[in-house]
Amino acid sequence: MKFEIQLSGPSGKKKHVVELTRTSEAYAVTLDGQPVEASAVQVSPNTVSVLLDGQSFEIHLSRSIGGKIKLQCGPHEFSAELIDPRSWRGRKQGALEVEGRQEIVAPMPGKVVRLLVGAGDAVEAGQGLLVVEAMKMQNEIRSPKNGKVERLLAKEGQNVNAGEVLAWVE
Amino acid sequence: MFKKILIANRGEIAVRILRACRELGIQTVAVYSEVDRSSLHVRLANEAYSIGPAASRESYLRIDKLMDVAKKAGCDALHPGYGFLAENPALPRACADVGVTFIGPPADAMDAMGSKTAGKQLARRAEVPTVPGTSDPIENPEEAQSLARSMGYPILLKAIAGGGGKGMRVVPSDTEFASAWRDAASEALNAFGDSRVFIEKYLVGPRHIEIQIFADAHGRCVSLGERECSIQRRHQKVVEEAPSPVVTPDLRRKMGEAAVRLGRAGGYVNAGTVEFLVDADLNFYFLEVNTRLQVEHPVTEQVTGLDLVKLQIAIAAGHRLPFAWESITPRGHAMEVRLYAEDPDNNFFPSPGKIIARHAPTGPGIRLDEGVYEGWTVPMDYDPLLSKLIAWGNSREETISRLRRALDEYTITGIRTNVSLFRRILTEPEFLRGEIHTKWLDELLARARPPAVPPRPGTEEAALIAAALWHSANLNGSAAPSGASQAAPSQWKMEGRRRQVDRIP
Repeated sequence: MKFEIQLSGPSGKKKHVVELTRTSEAYAVTLDGQPVEASAVQVSPNTVSVLLDGQSFEIHLSRSIGGKIKLQCGPHEFSAELIDPRSWRGRKQGALEVEGRQEIVAPMPGKVVRLLVGAGDAVEAGQGLLVVEAMKMQNEIRSPKNGKVERLLAKEGQNVNAGEVLAWVE
Repeated sequence: MFKKILIANRGEIAVRILRACRELGIQTVAVYSEVDRSSLHVRLANEAYSIGPAASRESYLRIDKLMDVAKKAGCDALHPGYGFLAENPALPRACADVGVTFIGPPADAMDAMGSKTAGKQLARRAEVPTVPGTSDPIENPEEAQSLARSMGYPILLKAIAGGGGKGMRVVPSDTEFASAWRDAASEALNAFGDSRVFIEKYLVGPRHIEIQIFADAHGRCVSLGERECSIQRRHQKVVEEAPSPVVTPDLRRKMGEAAVRLGRAGGYVNAGTVEFLVDADLNFYFLEVNTRLQVEHPVTEQVTGLDLVKLQIAIAAGHRLPFAWESITPRGHAMEVRLYAEDPDNNFFPSPGKIIARHAPTGPGIRLDEGVYEGWTVPMDYDPLLSKLIAWGNSREETISRLRRALDEYTITGIRTNVSLFRRILTEPEFLRGEIHTKWLDELLARARPPAVPPRPGTEEAALIAAALWHSANLNGSAAPSGASQAAPSQWKMEGRRRQVDRIP
């Protein structure tokens, strides 16, 4: 599998191509077209151990807001954005209308103070769905599309984390 | 011995007390607010009862609700931990009313020693050295100013009800006195509803060194030695160690004797801490008494081999102290760092949230006292203390290297922590030489940060490979959202759609 990755770290931002090919028990890795001596194992759901020319690295990963991957290696932090070739095709077709079921996620940790719609309600793009209070500020979370509130997972008074799914709009 | 103890606290200290109870075969009863239902102390307790909403005023600070739980669960004792109600004499009095033993000092001893002025008056009576200053609040600013002149500047104005650095002003010279007086009084009035202020001599670059005392109900009072807590950020301790790098056996004996005199004079029973400021010439001055277990008690445990929480329980049950002061000398060295959910890159702003993953350090000389676990959400309603990481070794050097090693092993994903602050402190030459004082950390943080050590060669490449592998592993469905009632939609499809959303200008 081939991945185009934009990596941001202490030394700036750069685009790279990583290719992983599954061999019998491990992966063959090429980096920007060059084969590298590497062994990568996902040792726990959020940790990947990488041996690169014998050097051992432990990388902790989590999904950050906006779908980027946050990486921690000791005191160093990186952010990786995977550039998915398929999404470019979508753009060429000029698809600005959001299609399909949309997950509405909390943009910050906070508390759901008000629900503005109920499950099953028809909503328009831009219409407020619920209000999340964080750091004493109330933020209205809006619908990204015209459609129907398929599920409302948030409850009034509930505390939510950044990235937690609040509702689905179909 | 007690059969069942109510733990009137939350977080790591509730877990710490629970563990001591378990080891003693005592049943434990936890209390929790709405946001603490899934907290570790609730999971580990034998029984747990809800005491109300998240706001501590409506839950952990409600004596009436605690007493209801104590009666309902049939508790015969209550441990207050630290913080919340631990130093409020109304709690031991309420316990006495319902026949529950309070694990801590008597209410009268709290009255006699708890407040700063009361403690200071008692210290003078017990011939414990105090910082030159007034023991009573001064009402008249002119009178205060002439006193300040006679003491010599710099002086410190302190709110009588103060704490945590609020209502405190350093006055470097006579010209600044009037405005500093106004500021301190109005700040104290706003923060504590009490504008009364007293004056003391301001010591330049003092150390904060405290003595752990223990007293039983049969008249014996002992010192368990000192803890050095000079590493503070805005008057909050962040690194503590025992023994202090500057305390000699002779000074330890003198400070211990002074602390014990104070404890006896106040009719003290159970664990207490007498805090002192120590100047460059190793003169010590009484600061205040904390009539409770301290956050940093583990460093004393590691160098004395004693379990202070068990000792507290035994004393509350009427047992005698099993040792004499002469037998207690520190062995080796111990150091604690307080890991907080806060962002050191953003002015230590609290960073609550869900702990997605964590790896806790283990190995020789490492102890972790904590109330967190992977998958737990750190609530935003309380002090964001996550863990206390404690290391010990034969020497201060070995202890520091163990602590550094453990900090390197400690990873936490999902929330920000102040781990990087300790990485910095533990490599500063002044810290390593033990040349520290209570303003040292604030001064260090005001200085430009040393240039970050660049990642070693290969780190970026390793990160790229890890990102690709992790991304593809998640695509294969291993990270499908749990609890979804229908089959998860294709991750490729979701990713594609999400990208399109991002493209909307």
